[in-house]
Amino acid sequence: MHDRTLSRRQALGLGVAALAFPAASGALAQPAVGRAMPREFNLTLSHVTANITGRRRPAMAINGQIPGPVLRFREGEEVVINVTNRLREHTSIHWHGLILPSSQDGVPGISDGFQGIDAGGTHQYRFPLVQAGTYWYHSHSGVQEQSGIYGSIVIDPATPEPFGYDRDYIVQLSDWTDETPSHVIANLKRDPGYYNYNKRTLASLVGELRRAPDAAARSAIVSDRIMWGDMRMDPTDIEDVGGYTYLVNGYTPAQNFTGVFRPGETVRLRFINSGAMTHFDVRIPGLQMTVVQAHGNNVRPVTVDEFRIAPAETFDVLVRPRDGRQYQMLAESMGRQGFAQFSLATQEGLPALPLPPHRPRPVLTMADMGMNYGPSGLDRGTPMPEVDAPGHVAPMDMGGMGGMDHSSMQMPAGGSQGMQGGSMGDMNHGGMAGMDHSSMPGMNHGAMGGMAGMDHGNMPGMNNGAAGAGAMAGMDHGAMGHGGMAMPDPLVNDVGAPPGARVLSYRDLRAAKPLYPVREPTRVIEIRLTGNMERYFWSINGNSFSQAQPIQLHLGERVRFRFVNETMMAHPMHIHGMWMIPQVGNGAENPLLHTVNIKPGSTLDIDMEVDAPGGWAFHCHMLYHMETGMMRKISVVNSPRTASAG
Amino acid sequence: MGFRTSLATAALMALGVAAINVSPAVADSAYQAFGTRGRAQDVKRTIDVVMRDNSYQPQRIQVRAGETVRFRVRNAGELLHEFNIGTAAMHQQHQREMQAMFDSGMMSATSKDAMAGMDHSKMPGMNHGAMNHGAMRHDDPNAVLVDPGKTEEMIFKFTKAATLEFACNIPGHYESGMVGKVDFAR
Repeated sequence: MHDRTLSRRQALGLGVAALAFPAASGALAQPAVGRAMPREFNLTLSHVTANITGRRRPAMAINGQIPGPVLRFREGEEVVINVTNRLREHTSIHWHGLILPSSQDGVPGISDGFQGIDAGGTHQYRFPLVQAGTYWYHSHSGVQEQSGIYGSIVIDPATPEPFGYDRDYIVQLSDWTDETPSHVIANLKRDPGYYNYNKRTLASLVGELRRAPDAAARSAIVSDRIMWGDMRMDPTDIEDVGGYTYLVNGYTPAQNFTGVFRPGETVRLRFINSGAMTHFDVRIPGLQMTVVQAHGNNVRPVTVDEFRIAPAETFDVLVRPRDGRQYQMLAESMGRQGFAQFSLATQEGLPALPLPPHRPRPVLTMADMGMNYGPSGLDRGTPMPEVDAPGHVAPMDMGGMGGMDHSSMQMPAGGSQGMQGGSMGDMNHGGMAGMDHSSMPGMNHGAMGGMAGMDHGNMPGMNNGAAGAGAMAGMDHGAMGHGGMAMPDPLVNDVGAPPGARVLSYRDLRAAKPLYPVREPTRVIEIRLTGNMERYFWSINGNSFSQAQPIQLHLGERVRFRFVNETMMAHPMHIHGMWMIPQVGNGAENPLLHTVNIKPGSTLDIDMEVDAPGGWAFHCHMLYHMETGMMRKISVVNSPRTASAG
Repeated sequence: MGFRTSLATAALMALGVAAINVSPAVADSAYQAFGTRGRAQDVKRTIDVVMRDNSYQPQRIQVRAGETVRFRVRNAGELLHEFNIGTAAMHQQHQREMQAMFDSGMMSATSKDAMAGMDHSKMPGMNHGAMNHGAMRHDDPNAVLVDPGKTEEMIFKFTKAATLEFACNIPGHYESGMVGKVDFAR
């Protein structure tokens, strides 16, 4: 039954493709059925003209459609996929979340022996399917993914799944821009706040001051602005790219993709976030959602009202509408710039339900910024650090902030005016390190109960340093609410849900069939997520991809990546070829994920059983973050230690 | 933020426990509208039910009003499961109670005896004296909890035709497909 539903959806996708790009022949990947031979699929990439917002814009499509065709595989089979490049540029296709040999992973210059697909060329991929579930594929060249080179993968399981359903729909979320992606990057580099339509202005400051009830409140407002300015960051900067139209399976909200059901049926929704730069907060008013798979892997079913899905993540949920009303799936962008939506209804062709008003736009508070110094002492890193370019932070030999490598922060010395730019890295280590507490008359340390982890005695670097200590002098720390300041919970998603609503957290995810026994990691590698918003480049441990050497891991080891997000942005970190096991407190049942969202200012440990030799990409799945440097190559090698001596 | 949430969860837990104290009177007796505890000597028919993670075989059973049935329920899965006969509304109510118990750590996903290993001293604010462990007790005649690999029996007399489902109310299981229909033959 669900087979039929899915193929019907495929046909619908084709309909839209035909609408957007006339005369696309052979739009579906046609599996050539054979015996004992691997099934063969054909994908052809080409330039097209798309009309998504009412303007005809250049785009890229697979087999003439956006998204590309659904690749429906079977667990245990081997497939051959011929990718033909009719673009005028180099390309590649990566199979996101699939466990396969490095040579088939499709990242030019990183995957073993793969240099991409030249214009006019055809590349043949061939690999066995060793897993089941919902995944997706996309270009791993430049920002082609943003232009339309993405599609979904469904792998039917070899054994029955631990849940049942009557209908099956793919819900592939994405963000479309009428701009060409290279212009987006140029705009961001020129002005990082280019797309921040909610930026606080001088006028808004005057307004806030006028509304303030008394002098103390006015003073608090001013010091808040000064503090943000001093960090060269902007608290309204939740998403860095705007002007998006959000799509479901290529449909705009008005086009209203519709999943048909009969009352009482159980409907499986395979959510895939193929957004280049968008976290979505998902809800279906009137229906609870039971999450049964996360990133393709079965989890103990958990019923929630809402969930946040970061770029590249997938969640499979079951819903069970009891009555025949029209339900609306709302996927609101985290920065509250728009919705993707579709309908669940008993018939097709109904108009979309009206979109609700946006929930309040989250504004980062100082607490969200986390004052995140990360763990201290030996917990901070590893005595056997990754092989890395200069800038890697060696483990601290003493507590507190003493061992921090400020030299790697590349912080712009000139105070950019107002709220612009900067990064968490600057805040933590620049602004704070330069803080001279003795010159802060208004500061009441006694009231700063929440900053328990902060040992002032251990901050040798604290004197009147470079960055704007003058501005700090006027700061009213009492008004900053240090009392309530705590490390942000790395696993709670503040989606603005009403009280009592259950919102999915990684903590709720328990692997139904853990793949690996629990064991202690052989070493801990610190992965600081860093960046310079001012010049719009992003980095890992202070080094962008082009400056860094590969991280070497050894086959058979269990490595722990200690992510420390020193920036104000969430970074969905993705490792190719091996599962990431976030340490969320569920022991052997910690979930197996291919992408782990690291919240701003938070720290999270992720274990990895290093069981796949070769070269693998490791990067932030915010497309422009990856493109501007937040990426590494991981080399999994046989030889122990010797290779890492350098 | 996280702290606030865990506090809220704790508050919910407390509420949940309180609700369990009060609600069993309602939940426990609701089955009386359509049935009652059956007597072994009245059993004319045994229905075998196999539970897996997370489904039932068969997915539909047929009974007669007035009939006493022995249900022999085998758990072939790796998780704890329930076989509970009730209306959709009863199941919904029961699911809320179960959720509260799982949230509070009073139940585990793999064994109904997890209670035994529980360290009660670590649960401040919980008044165990006042808790009758309502839904956990599971000596209701219309429901049975079955540990993985085990088989349990339940004898139930359907006194009156009603719109009933058999279901597992452990969090997430009903929604994943552990629900079947009870048809009344005329």
